[in-house]
Amino acid sequence: MLLEVRNLVKEFGGVIANADISMEVEEGMIMGLIGPNGAGKTTLFNCIAGYYRPTEGKIFFNGKEITGWPSYKVARIGIARTFQGMKTLPNLTVEENVMIGAFCCTNSREVARKDAHEIMELLDLRDKAYAFPKELPIAIQKRIEMARALATKPRLLMLDEIAAGLNPSETKEILQLLKMIKEEKGLTLLLTEHVMEFIMTISDRVTVMAAGRKIAEGLPNEVASNPKVIEAYLGERYAKC
Amino acid sequence: MKTLLKDIFSFEDRPRFERIGFLIFIIIILIFPFIVKSAYGRAVMIKFLLFALFGVGWNLIGGYGGQVDLGQGKNVGFGAYTTGLMMLWWGIPFWVTVPIGMIIAAAESFGVAYPMFRLKGHYFAIATLCVALVWKELFVFWDWTGGARGIEIPVKPHPNFYYMQFGSPIYYHYFIFFLFITQVLFMNWFRKSKLGYELQAVRDNEEVASSLGINVYRTKVISYTITGGLGAVGGSFMTSYYLYIDPDFVMPLDLSILIAMTVMVGGGGSLWGPIIGAAFLIPLDMYLGAWLGAKKRLGIDFMIYALIMMFIAAREPRGIWGIIERIRKRK
Repeated sequence: MLLEVRNLVKEFGGVIANADISMEVEEGMIMGLIGPNGAGKTTLFNCIAGYYRPTEGKIFFNGKEITGWPSYKVARIGIARTFQGMKTLPNLTVEENVMIGAFCCTNSREVARKDAHEIMELLDLRDKAYAFPKELPIAIQKRIEMARALATKPRLLMLDEIAAGLNPSETKEILQLLKMIKEEKGLTLLLTEHVMEFIMTISDRVTVMAAGRKIAEGLPNEVASNPKVIEAYLGERYAKC
Repeated sequence: MKTLLKDIFSFEDRPRFERIGFLIFIIIILIFPFIVKSAYGRAVMIKFLLFALFGVGWNLIGGYGGQVDLGQGKNVGFGAYTTGLMMLWWGIPFWVTVPIGMIIAAAESFGVAYPMFRLKGHYFAIATLCVALVWKELFVFWDWTGGARGIEIPVKPHPNFYYMQFGSPIYYHYFIFFLFITQVLFMNWFRKSKLGYELQAVRDNEEVASSLGINVYRTKVISYTITGGLGAVGGSFMTSYYLYIDPDFVMPLDLSILIAMTVMVGGGGSLWGPIIGAAFLIPLDMYLGAWLGAKKRLGIDFMIYALIMMFIAAREPRGIWGIIERIRKRK
């Protein structure tokens, strides 16, 4: 088991964002995390990535407990993440953005640059190396974020709403890119998304959250026909028929 | 070793016009004493180089790190007093006192950085300001540092390379130029180093930086410590140049703010910004002040000063260098 979340609870001053979430992600799989807005997906992400300290519960990575670790330590152990919305480093070029990720596992600038170029090649960013992220289209900015996260040489890559704000053809493109990277690097992926279509086509397993709770887990088509899931997405009336 | 030397001396990654500009700048500084004979002109030049030196050092935390530190004056004071007191008490040569001053300033910076970087933004700026004020008051209060009267350095026969005392400003001109260039080269190395990249990532977005395995807090503390050490060098120079120091002269609030201002006006986070800022503010300050003072129009120079500053802050937050880059991109 690469990632294991055990009975995780996260409260914000009385508001329960995550209630008793348990989840297991096996090495090499693509786990999709879906749920309506406000279901607590990003909170769970932030707990795993070390941005929030869980109120209760435990998180294990590769058999090691990482509950409450600071985010930079989580990154160094092999969990990389992207953020919801664009968070590029605006005053640095694309190359430097990716290099900073690569510095995670090396002290040498030459090695970092070499690694960065390898990853930029893979994500087809090479010709944009000296541009600034803000000058580029959103779809490319998303790729920059992915490249930066990949440069830290992770075993688990967590993507928070990577398809948000993209049009269908761009979404398709990023889907193929993800599959290709996963094969190439032998990654495990954890994705959140509220676009059902995207996640259903790519995931091996899907976990569904609603109002801070985990309501279902299983294969994509199993989950899609689960009445509880339909209820969470469409309301009680549709679940009955 | 070879890559280290290359990182220090190579400006290859900068555009051609920057390299040529820097070369012309160096040549002008080198031949300056042979062209300008007036004592005032030479004094302005030395003051410019001194503040360019301060700016280049402060640029590390203030520009590359984006942390508004308004207390660099205290580090200047540590350098100045270390050199001054060691010369006065034990007659230790200048070049020995410089590294000691740097270590003292860096050690103090490390100590205060620890609690201070729990704060962010404006609160951090206020904390740095307070720390600098406390140190200044302590130096006024203490007897062993000469108190408010300050200390006078015994004059040695000129020229003296042990104590770096010279009769002619030409020596001081090349002396400060040497110190200035060493810090420019250091920054040239720093901006390409791992810490340099990490610090820039922290400035741009702390959340992202930590997601990439960067310990944000540690990066800030180390950078602040190095900045402290760099600030002390100029302080040591002030002692040997003016031969008299007191707390109001080497560590006042004005000095801290002027250092930050030169970088902000010139453009923080770039190699040349602090130099441009100093080249703009120092002559303006010295010539305008002297000219208007002679006409009994005291205070007007400060108003002009403030207007220019407000104009730059409003038009281009990245300072004069930001304006230059924008014009260049448009072409």
